[in-house]
Amino acid sequence: MGISLVIDVLLALGLVGLALQVVAGPSLFRSIVLFVVFGLVMALAWARLHAPDLAMAEAAIGAGITGALLLMTYRRLVELNPEKRGETYLGSRWLAAPVGVLTGVLVGLIGWAALQLPPGDTTAGTLARDALDETGVSNPVTGVLLVFRGYDTLLEMGVLLLAFLGARAVASGRAHSPGTSEVSEPALVGALLSLVVPLTILVGIYLLRAGGHAPGGAFQAGAVLAAGGVLLSLTGRLVPTDHTPLVQRLVLVLGLLVFSGMGLFMLFAGSAMLSLPGTWAIYLVETALMISIALPLALLFAQAPGLKGRGH
Amino acid sequence: MQAEIYVAASAAVFGTGVYGLILARHILRKLLALNLMGGGVFLLLITLGGGADGPPDPIPQAMVLTGIVIAVSATAFALAMLVRLYQETGRATLELEDDDQEGGGDG
Repeated sequence: MGISLVIDVLLALGLVGLALQVVAGPSLFRSIVLFVVFGLVMALAWARLHAPDLAMAEAAIGAGITGALLLMTYRRLVELNPEKRGETYLGSRWLAAPVGVLTGVLVGLIGWAALQLPPGDTTAGTLARDALDETGVSNPVTGVLLVFRGYDTLLEMGVLLLAFLGARAVASGRAHSPGTSEVSEPALVGALLSLVVPLTILVGIYLLRAGGHAPGGAFQAGAVLAAGGVLLSLTGRLVPTDHTPLVQRLVLVLGLLVFSGMGLFMLFAGSAMLSLPGTWAIYLVETALMISIALPLALLFAQAPGLKGRGH
Repeated sequence: MQAEIYVAASAAVFGTGVYGLILARHILRKLLALNLMGGGVFLLLITLGGGADGPPDPIPQAMVLTGIVIAVSATAFALAMLVRLYQETGRATLELEDDDQEGGGDG
């Protein structure tokens, strides 16, 4: 008991210390890297709080994909204007510290007050747990995401698609070619990729399959696949295209189409909207979600409307 | 005891995020601070939903999982806007040109 408490205190101190370094550190690059570290420490905290699904999502999406996006953007800004690299962009505003402390205290008081509340007898969580047997999945988080709160997941896919469309809308027409394509690459890159990329796909599919009964699911799997896409575009194996190919357009909306199509079908079949007719339907929807999560994330990283293989 | 520790940590992380959001001038820094604030809220939600004497509540976990994906989507959109802003104006701050030298007002 004592040791685990020490771990919790260390994790909490680590989170706060890293957060302070992220906002107050002198170098922007260092802040981004420390933000990724913050995400990884957060993943450990999720594991301590009995939320392994979140631990994986945080490590893959919160730290991994977000970190890659931030670093890519930082590099583009440096490329656009190399002289400004060293600027810190930290203002000095006397209001910042008191407002920060006061809001922190406010959130702490809210949390502390919520901890004093007596636990309810029937919360949505206990109801979901009790009804879990009928769904065919035994991981309660996957059950909630796909069966009990399907609207959240459906609209979340909509937000991801909107973010991608918005990013395309504001991007300028100038195509951005990553500098790696002409540079001769080290001999080991190809060998490493031929090892890592198949493993990435394997891990993604495993996470999807395991999500029904163990930590995992469509989001973690999609993020892992997206990481594979990030790796391939970083090494120049996937190059940006000027337009989104038809197949990729279909893939982008596949999750929304399959999930809402299935939901509408069940509505007309006399059941509730978005209810899923069985375990096979859950896995079908999850597979579509996984693919439709992976592609926009990879495209957002590449800052391109589409991707194609280098040789084509 | 574990819950109190993480509630305190989430409050401190959220406060740090607010502090950073006000302090930062570079938009990338503001985005980092916003993500920290989000992290603090997620941590609070999960801590309050983690049954001390029983299995943790799956509802907050599913909501935070959704929240993480929404956060990365919004961040990616904001980053795309930042790149365009930088291409158009050569600046990565939200201040007007006159404020640039003196560190901006309090707004």
